Amino acid sequence: MLSTATEPTIEDYPTDAPGAGPEAWACPLTLEVETDNSLGGQLLAEVGRLRPWAAETRRRRGRTLFGLSGAEPDQVDDVATVLATIAESGNVTDQPDTDIEWAHPMPFLLRHLADDLRSFYHEAIAAQPGDTPPNHEALNGWIFGETILGEVLLAIADHLTDAGAANPMAGIVRNLTVPEGH
Amino acid sequence: MGSALVVRLSDLHPNEADHLRARADAMPEFDCEQWLTPRPLTESTVALVSTCGMHRRDDPPFTLGAVDYRLIPRSVDWADIVISHISANFDRSGLADDPNVAMPLDRLEDLAARGEIGAVSNWHYTFMGGHPQPQMFEEAGNEVGRLLAEDGVDVALLVPI
Repeated sequence: MLSTATEPTIEDYPTDAPGAGPEAWACPLTLEVETDNSLGGQLLAEVGRLRPWAAETRRRRGRTLFGLSGAEPDQVDDVATVLATIAESGNVTDQPDTDIEWAHPMPFLLRHLADDLRSFYHEAIAAQPGDTPPNHEALNGWIFGETILGEVLLAIADHLTDAGAANPMAGIVRNLTVPEGH
Repeated sequence: MGSALVVRLSDLHPNEADHLRARADAMPEFDCEQWLTPRPLTESTVALVSTCGMHRRDDPPFTLGAVDYRLIPRSVDWADIVISHISANFDRSGLADDPNVAMPLDRLEDLAARGEIGAVSNWHYTFMGGHPQPQMFEEAGNEVGRLLAEDGVDVALLVPI
């Protein structure tokens, strides 16, 4: 196109995207485990079930997208604990008190905490057998419809909505933390 | 280079498709500079400019409303790459599996090895897309343009995400 154009030109590519992945996708792992009834306990158990698969993907790729919150790649449990604590307490303004040097202030930190853990879940799914990985909607449907992480993130989203009346940033962060439609 | 993968608006979630249509309608008019026919690609040095929000792990992350950019060296180690794009609707799964989805540096190297482009730039640039006021990028965009020119780049491949 560069060789023939005499003015700014827009051309469509002639090819379409391949199949967008299965409409109905189910995670083959059994995530339900016996724990105490706390969100933190349930979330840590879920993360534990996914850990070997996420480790496999990290090994294969030689990298991870986890860590934008400031947590190190091996601090998945710490991030999970912080998110569950915030989901239960509703405190979306105070910086979580841990040894981690957070890379962002609250409530904006919540957006990256959520993304770190979602990245970990995506890594776990990416390693599992199957010809076609789930598409974006199927992944979101699984996380927000079937996992404790989804339950935790939706609880935090509700807290951010409530806090948004007094703190507009909280309302903005709510929309950066949970995808549209959830 | 393999087949191009084009996702159409009809493939997207209806909310996202409506959002993108509204954004397109609200796009400001930009004056067009005089068209310059570049030198043949086989003699051109090519750089990537992507709005995927990718950067090296020790770079400052993109923040809400960011209109600045990050540098990606030609020799980047993909293990050192993270993505701080703030949109929760931005599907990272493909990009996580292969950073070339948004930053096709390895593909540029392939093209250079086959002689289809002249050379790969030593530096590439990333922004965070999704900003509601694209005219806010003018200053940084002009700066990147000057840097590309100073670096001897003939063609910039824009990768909107």
